[in-house]
Amino acid sequence: MTYQNVPAPVAPEINLGDSFVTTRVDAVVNWGRRNSLWPFPFGTACCAIEFMGIVSSVFDVSRFGAELVRFSPRQADLLIIAGTVTYKQAPVLRRIYEQMCEPRWVISAGACASSGGFYDCYCTVPGIDEIIPVDIYIAGCPPRPEAFLESIVQLQKKIDKESLVEQRTVGI
Amino acid sequence: MIAHRTQIPNGPIQPGFTNEQLVTLLSERFGLTRDASDHWDLTLVCQAEQLRDVVKYLRDEPTLSFAMLLDVVGVDYLAYPGHRSERFAVLYPMKSLVFRHRLVLKVMVDEDACVVPSLFELYKSAEWAERETWDQYGIIFAGHPNLKRLLNHHEFVGHPLRKDYPCQKRQKLSMNDPMIDQLEARLRSLGYTILERGEASVGQAITRPSAVPSALPTAGGKP
Repeated sequence: MTYQNVPAPVAPEINLGDSFVTTRVDAVVNWGRRNSLWPFPFGTACCAIEFMGIVSSVFDVSRFGAELVRFSPRQADLLIIAGTVTYKQAPVLRRIYEQMCEPRWVISAGACASSGGFYDCYCTVPGIDEIIPVDIYIAGCPPRPEAFLESIVQLQKKIDKESLVEQRTVGI
Repeated sequence: MIAHRTQIPNGPIQPGFTNEQLVTLLSERFGLTRDASDHWDLTLVCQAEQLRDVVKYLRDEPTLSFAMLLDVVGVDYLAYPGHRSERFAVLYPMKSLVFRHRLVLKVMVDEDACVVPSLFELYKSAEWAERETWDQYGIIFAGHPNLKRLLNHHEFVGHPLRKDYPCQKRQKLSMNDPMIDQLEARLRSLGYTILERGEASVGQAITRPSAVPSALPTAGGKP
């Protein structure tokens, strides 16, 4: 067989078979971000007990890829505020949020974190969105573990709509 | 350094005085009267001038030995139905660890002066309890070494448990109190010397009463 007798391939990729896939940057980045959320629990009250429930084996948040709880904001990308926040704590919470690397998301778990709950008084922050931006609010006092898991699913859907390319080019 | 007397009970708890015996004893010695509105514990009304003497007697008398000051409680009687005397009251619940008796001393506090003597020299537990009562009610404790806010943040203005404080008024905090004064006191007690202060400890606006008197103002001009 001589060299001249071999027909030139129409597209050289055809020989690679299933060894690569094509996709968009946003899709693959969001896939990674969505399925490996590392939560930092800012637990100040009973909602934090519910958070322990979803992390442990019965409800098992690792099914959604968010089981790696970090107690340093520098290693986490999901801030979960579970409990009542007072004005005396507010600068601490703000500082923790500022220490987190981007991209970062915030879940406000339960009535107290979302609205102050029934603490309509001189010392309680009426909703942590006075201090930091919030992505997902969970209702309940405290919320059921199913509601916690639902909030993570909702956050994953929200992450899917984000675009790294847009954030980098537009500079959001 | 103030030496606080510590008393650890050994042996079984003894019966001690009944409420009636306590009332008789203290009314004969100090002229204390029983508060008509006490529902649970025995409450005796005491004048601010004699408070330290009474408490010292209750603590040091071996047959009484009230070794424990449980709390310092403020009360605001503003708009309280049927109340006609001074606006504030301070309650001192006390307990004996050896005997089975308890007692509450009640001091009525005038709104204008708003000052009672501090029990810091008698009970170490009075330090934080009095700080809290000043923080929440604005009652000044004469002779307290460090009367600053305990529960509310250091930028807070007013005293929130007063009945005329608008309870839904929010007061934001811009920066946490680094509590350098407490840290320095702790370091000094461990034998360290403060040579230099950094930026964080300078310019801290810590709310305190404008002047804490070392003793009660006396009516007759006596020191």
